[in-house]
Amino acid sequence: MTKRRTPTWAEDSEVRGGGHERPYAYEQGNQQAYDQGNQQQYQGQQQPYGQGNQQAYDQGNQQAYGHGDQQAYAQPGQQPYGQGHQQSYPQAQQRQVGNESLRQYVQNAPPPLYPHHPEYDEGAAGGRQLTNTGTWRFNGRTSKYLDQATFQIYAPFDPYAQYTAVEPEPEAQEEKPGYTLPAVPESAWSVDTRRSRLLGRLILLCILLVQAGLSLRLGGTAFQDEALYIASGHYELDNLLHGTKLPVDFAAYFSGHPKLYPILAAVVDDRFGLFGVRVVSLLFMLGATGLLYSLTRRLFNLRAALGAAALFSVVQSTVVLGNLATYDAAAVFLLALSAWAVVRTDRMNALAVLLAAPPAALAFGVKYASGLYLPTLVVLAVITAHRHRGIRALGRGVVLGAGTVALLAVGYYFSGPLGGISSTTTDREKGADTAATMLQHSAEWGGLLFLAALVGSIAYVLRARMGEMPWIGGETTGRWRRAALGLVLTGTTLLAPAYQINLQTEISLYKHVGFGLLFAAPLAGLGMARLVGPHFRHPQLGILLYVLTLVFGMVQAQERAHSFADSTQMIAYMRTIVDKKGEYLAEEAEVPGYYLRDKTYWTQWNNTYFMDYRGKDGKQYAGAGAFRQAVRDGKFDAIVMHGAISPATYAAVKEGLKGNSRYRLAAVFPYTSSYGENAYRIWVKR
Amino acid sequence: MTFSVRSVHTLRTVRALAAALLAGALLAGCSTFSEEGRDQYERSQGEPPAAEGAEGAEGAGGEASESAKSVDQPYDVRPLLEPKKKYLGVAADGAPAKMNAVEDFAKRAGKKPNLMEFYSAWGDQYERELVQNAWDYGAVAYIAWEPFETSLKDIAAGKEDKYIREYASSVKELNLPVAISWAHEMNGFWYPWGTKKTSPADFTAAYKHIHDLFAEEGATQVIWVWSPNVINPMPKVKLKPYWPGDEYVDWVGVIGYYAEYGPHTYKSLYGPTMTQIRTFTKKPFIIAETAAQAGERKPADIKDLFQGTAKRDDVIGFVWFNYDKETDWRISSGPLSQKTFREQAQSDSFGFDVTKP
Repeated sequence: MTKRRTPTWAEDSEVRGGGHERPYAYEQGNQQAYDQGNQQQYQGQQQPYGQGNQQAYDQGNQQAYGHGDQQAYAQPGQQPYGQGHQQSYPQAQQRQVGNESLRQYVQNAPPPLYPHHPEYDEGAAGGRQLTNTGTWRFNGRTSKYLDQATFQIYAPFDPYAQYTAVEPEPEAQEEKPGYTLPAVPESAWSVDTRRSRLLGRLILLCILLVQAGLSLRLGGTAFQDEALYIASGHYELDNLLHGTKLPVDFAAYFSGHPKLYPILAAVVDDRFGLFGVRVVSLLFMLGATGLLYSLTRRLFNLRAALGAAALFSVVQSTVVLGNLATYDAAAVFLLALSAWAVVRTDRMNALAVLLAAPPAALAFGVKYASGLYLPTLVVLAVITAHRHRGIRALGRGVVLGAGTVALLAVGYYFSGPLGGISSTTTDREKGADTAATMLQHSAEWGGLLFLAALVGSIAYVLRARMGEMPWIGGETTGRWRRAALGLVLTGTTLLAPAYQINLQTEISLYKHVGFGLLFAAPLAGLGMARLVGPHFRHPQLGILLYVLTLVFGMVQAQERAHSFADSTQMIAYMRTIVDKKGEYLAEEAEVPGYYLRDKTYWTQWNNTYFMDYRGKDGKQYAGAGAFRQAVRDGKFDAIVMHGAISPATYAAVKEGLKGNSRYRLAAVFPYTSSYGENAYRIWVKR
Repeated sequence: MTFSVRSVHTLRTVRALAAALLAGALLAGCSTFSEEGRDQYERSQGEPPAAEGAEGAEGAGGEASESAKSVDQPYDVRPLLEPKKKYLGVAADGAPAKMNAVEDFAKRAGKKPNLMEFYSAWGDQYERELVQNAWDYGAVAYIAWEPFETSLKDIAAGKEDKYIREYASSVKELNLPVAISWAHEMNGFWYPWGTKKTSPADFTAAYKHIHDLFAEEGATQVIWVWSPNVINPMPKVKLKPYWPGDEYVDWVGVIGYYAEYGPHTYKSLYGPTMTQIRTFTKKPFIIAETAAQAGERKPADIKDLFQGTAKRDDVIGFVWFNYDKETDWRISSGPLSQKTFREQAQSDSFGFDVTKP
């Protein structure tokens, strides 16, 4: 007894009592009824305890009880059975064996050596049976009298004598059940209850509040991309409603379909302004966190779900995207929705997975880069298929893939040519960012979550359950399936960095890393739960992980959100000098183009990236030379620059301004970004 | 089913591994929390980075950035550069600190002046109150900024940058238009920055340097005046070497007095200078300092000044030096002078509301 591992409370009287009662009840005739009727009921209703009992049999009680019984049943044929049988099974299967052996023991055991009693003997001869309730059954009827004779003698004189209802013999059902109960996932300290669910949702609410706070605190004026998408949305909306011609073919260079997110953004912007559009993004990100919680809970358990939501909600990408009016937030949400649908329909008909296809296809339409994650969804559909489905699980993946592709094909047919796909996503201009810096930055942005996911994956492969409640056996998915799940979800994190390293450009990488983190988050949550350990043994580790992620996320998000100029003053000044006819050169031209769209038209704003210009001297200029010559020629009515985005153009413009009396510096608006002090400089024509 | 000893060990290994990985992540993330990263974060919080924050935080830096935010749109001086009508300017004793002299002048002239010149020595703070006073009166301030007690070489070399920047940021903060004529009469020999001690190259270098610092600080409210003396006293000094460039100058402020002995017609007094200047720039002229010596010819000189200025479209006005210094330059020196001035100033082409040019 020194090595006892059963919790003492698991060894309570109920357990013991159950054990003791059985041999008493296991008489010849009764046994059948017990096996067929009660056993099923017993196991069905009290599964946890059933397993607890086995435990007790295996470990604690075995010595005391098992040996005692064996001595009591000292029969020649029995001893080899009782001992030899148990030894012949490996330790791992002991539980099942224990269960099995006990039953077989009772079935196969010779009649017990109860002292002969006339009543027992007679009863046995008369075919009577002792029921559970302590009455006797004979001739198909139940009575408290021991036998027919006694009944006939005494019953007429017994005022309380009555026949109880006939209990029909339950018919034996030998055929295999048509439906196997799915494995009940281990979920928490206590079995999943309404209370734990409520608690989980309350914590989720706190997580979401933290996320919202982190995002909303960033604020700031419109970022270049936000300005571009919202402004384009206004023009696209006019194009849809009134057939107004588009100023430029946005579809040719957008990294998402210009008639999806931008239109939504424009509609919201009309009502609530930039803040409103950003709140929509925030809602998308909060929705993604919520879906993540739900799908992780279904994949693993409540604790992993909370961990996943907590970690995902504070990484830089989530926080920043929640305050960025671009289609990234919408795409993340749609991917999360699709993943959730995949996991949610795991036990349904294979066709049900088609529910995940529309959000997946839409995610691609909203932002083409989401396409990188569609394969993950397909593989996830295969892995999460109900485990009894076997090879048919592949069908789920095929169905989802085919459905998504079909939807995309239909969408493409109606949308027409989309040059933006190649120019922004598949065939983007190669940059000059090195793999080392990109990896380092990716590690800073998502490294912690990735590591947590790695820990989660390894731990998950090693053990399907944490073993907090070892008496809960239940079915678990196989090791290969667990490994595959960990590999796919964690590996997805690496897609974006790998792809962009291939493209050698770090543009938007911080956002795309966040897409991958969404998929790794479930395993990161699991990793966090495993770090904390069974029975919350090491809460400090979980807290440490969360706080570290939070601090990194907060700091990085703050830097990111203030990496560009605050344009308030510049816009206010430009508002006083622009008109419907002027031509303006502006760094981040989208920003004034968006804010001043009531006073100017989109094409009045020249960007500082590309320019082809035929000078007044008749020569054709391109690149920086074009800007220089255009400034010399006085092409622009106003020039707004700060040099942080296109330093080469800035230098060229300054060169053009040298000895040039057409322009006069009209305003200087200093601003502070996370890259340092800088200033908008505005030159106007004299 | 329980924990086997082996699985407990595995668990421990996994946890140790996790701790090591966490530490690794911390190292990897060190750039987020490196010196540079901290600076970035502080900047993004709108604070000066710790390194330079020590003096900047509570000193002028913090204050400046605070008020810079509250500054409204920078005054657009463009309409003031070439107004349709002419400036009627004055430099009067004590003005614009005290307006008595100006008011006296206005009473006698029958018109309020709309350009008010005063002198500022190198090292003086930007005199906001004076500029404000002038503006409140209805005149643009015109500061003759005289670089005494410094060398133009030092200025060009950046030794005076701190002072210049302070001056510029004050100009920006006040946000009122101001004409600045730095180192005027540079083609004369009588000032320390004159031809005797300074080369034209030093002059233009210093001029450009000051202009650039003002641009850097964002003091766009300045009307830059390049102000030579008329070339008559020293015809050999060519002006072109002193010219900093079109983008550095808004007005060409020619200085020339109707003295008792000297040219007495607009053409002979200003003509040669203006002709020479027109060979290298088309910037508008303003007679930056003028007056007529008291005497019999004074009324005629006054009339000539008004008529000559009115005739030339590229002369946007003049500043009357209304001092009793060396001689009585004031319009009140004689009743006829005053009468003539009053008559001439009645012309609709002189004087306008500087807030609505």
